Amino acid sequence: MPKINQTIQTTPKFRVLSENQIEMIYSAALDVIQRTGARFHHDEALELFKNREAVVSDGNLVRVPISLVEKAIKCHPRKINLTGRTEKYKIKLEKDVVNFGTGSDLPFTYDRETGERRRTNYNDVVNAARIVDFLPNLDFFMSHGIVQDVPNPQVYDRHQFMAMLKGCTKPMVLTSVDGDGLKDLWKMASLFRGGEKEYRLEPMFVTYIEPISPLKNDKTAVEKLLFSAEKGIPCMYTPCPSSGATAPATMAGMLVQSLSETMMASVLTYLKNPGMPLIMGGVTTVLDMITTSYSYGAPELSLASAANTDISKWLGLPMFSTGGCTDAKVLDEQAAIESATSNFYAYLSGASLVHDVGYIDSGVNASLESLVMNDEIIGMIRQMGKGINTEDEYLALELIDKIGPGGEYLTHEHTLQHYKEWFQPRLQDRSDYETWVREGKKTMNDRIKEETERILKEHQPEPIDDNIQKELQQIIDAAEKRHSK
Amino acid sequence: MSEKLGKIADGLLHGKIDEVGELTQELINDGMDPEEILQKGLFAGMDVVGKKFRDCEMFIPEVLRSAKAMHAAMEKLRPVLSEESSSKAGTVIMVTVQGDLHDIGKNLAGMMMEGSGFNVIDMGIDRKTEDIVEMVKKEKPQILGLSALLTTTMPKMGEVINALKEAGIRDQVKVIVGGAPVTDDFAQEIGADAYAPNASIGTEKALELVKG
Repeated sequence: MPKINQTIQTTPKFRVLSENQIEMIYSAALDVIQRTGARFHHDEALELFKNREAVVSDGNLVRVPISLVEKAIKCHPRKINLTGRTEKYKIKLEKDVVNFGTGSDLPFTYDRETGERRRTNYNDVVNAARIVDFLPNLDFFMSHGIVQDVPNPQVYDRHQFMAMLKGCTKPMVLTSVDGDGLKDLWKMASLFRGGEKEYRLEPMFVTYIEPISPLKNDKTAVEKLLFSAEKGIPCMYTPCPSSGATAPATMAGMLVQSLSETMMASVLTYLKNPGMPLIMGGVTTVLDMITTSYSYGAPELSLASAANTDISKWLGLPMFSTGGCTDAKVLDEQAAIESATSNFYAYLSGASLVHDVGYIDSGVNASLESLVMNDEIIGMIRQMGKGINTEDEYLALELIDKIGPGGEYLTHEHTLQHYKEWFQPRLQDRSDYETWVREGKKTMNDRIKEETERILKEHQPEPIDDNIQKELQQIIDAAEKRHSK
Repeated sequence: MSEKLGKIADGLLHGKIDEVGELTQELINDGMDPEEILQKGLFAGMDVVGKKFRDCEMFIPEVLRSAKAMHAAMEKLRPVLSEESSSKAGTVIMVTVQGDLHDIGKNLAGMMMEGSGFNVIDMGIDRKTEDIVEMVKKEKPQILGLSALLTTTMPKMGEVINALKEAGIRDQVKVIVGGAPVTDDFAQEIGADAYAPNASIGTEKALELVKG
């Protein structure tokens, strides 16, 4: 007979904040917006606020009544679907569906030949793109590095997107120079869908925008927000506070301030055009009080990000979290420890997009090998997230009785069927000592290097259609021309 | 009186802002040579702070509180110091270049320099090249600290240096550049005098440049 009053937990459960704590943080953030306000360095934004219930004082300080904030925050969709440039890769941004991907715009790349860091170039981004296109556990792509070998840094974003498209067919998160840059990126992406309305149905990228903590919004950030609102481009407004320097030294205080910054953007886009797909974000970490570095390996980053994810789920917004990154200068033991723990925490929290996988050197240096290492880590983590199935087939009562005391399971059909559900490492070594010696005493680092070189040698993504390629180039050329004047 | 000098040094170490300011004023009132207060009280205390910071016995928040105490003492001392002594460390202009609104690194460096006895003028963020040149002309600082966080605003630092050349005042001021995407190579490329990867190295470089 089936039982009654049963609860089946199909996956592990994890949370940092209780609902009451989330309400406290949310309530405090409303107070910040109404009492302290935020600065907007943008005329149209100030006009939009002035024309409604908001108060603008001291030139550009905006305070918004709670009623308007609460109206705005309820208008964003609860879910966003993204499709890469081909139909092959689709991801869903919604509660508890966790997608992993890179970060973007690192000024340096770790040079695998010299072992030194150097300025990131176009080809580095193409290579990162190809590796992400190949790796099964990376679901979206940000540029990893920032393209610097272009004639004009003011149009780097168009070249960078081209490099990304060349190497990768997965959905993306893009940075841009300003509103004009974002417009070009959006035009470029729309070419793959055949039109503006079609693009709305099936967007390819999320645009990455950040305020400047505490509570400051610069001109280019606001331009991008307003354009995203107008065109319905999925958009993340992701505060990057360093606790103790640009946010309170307490995690709760940092969360309050970050949420205020995000909700201010929500209000602004609501006034422009309600309903923009908004993703909550926040690289909420600490300023290291000895080195003053903005830490990418601090446990507080993971803790605050997971708490932020709890808040995002309560608000019904997808969440942009952080993992797979490190303060270590090269891919060493520190890098492995920090990457693994941050990925695991972000995964358990159920964030929609976990980015910065492959960042080394506190967010300034890009490692291709780190991507390969993290792919293995994420594979393990996803396995741990699968939980325990307790259906009859899995309790295996019949089987245990059949095999009996002193029997063996190796040759049984049940084993043949179910061992395939386990995680099979691609790079980790589980061999015996003698075999390991015979095969050259290779370390994890050796195997990661070999795999990175193999992918770069062998993997080619599906090419871009010739006609679209031409049109993409035309948009870039036109931007170069406009900016050379 | 020398007991009070010890108390000043100790107060700096423990970040006692009001006490250090008051003790400095008392010693001035007592008629002590301002130069002696500076050397044996303030610099003696800040030397220990510097050493403890390098040895990881003090952290940034404590160092900055010491710097604040130093600032409080200098406010009392500067009016009575001789021209030569009060500008011994020198004046620094700190600024974030045009197009960039990031300022935490610049502020931190400014505070640390203040702690080392510099007179720091903070021009804020997003400042036009010509405004920076004007300020250099007006204040005649020994050091100009330029900050940028973005690769897109970084080239503005080179623009400022060129504008200083065009204005004929490049050799009157030492330029230190800093910010996440900045490197030593970049600093040399644009003709800066020094590169500061962080606030404390920036302060060390500033002191070296002033000594000449």
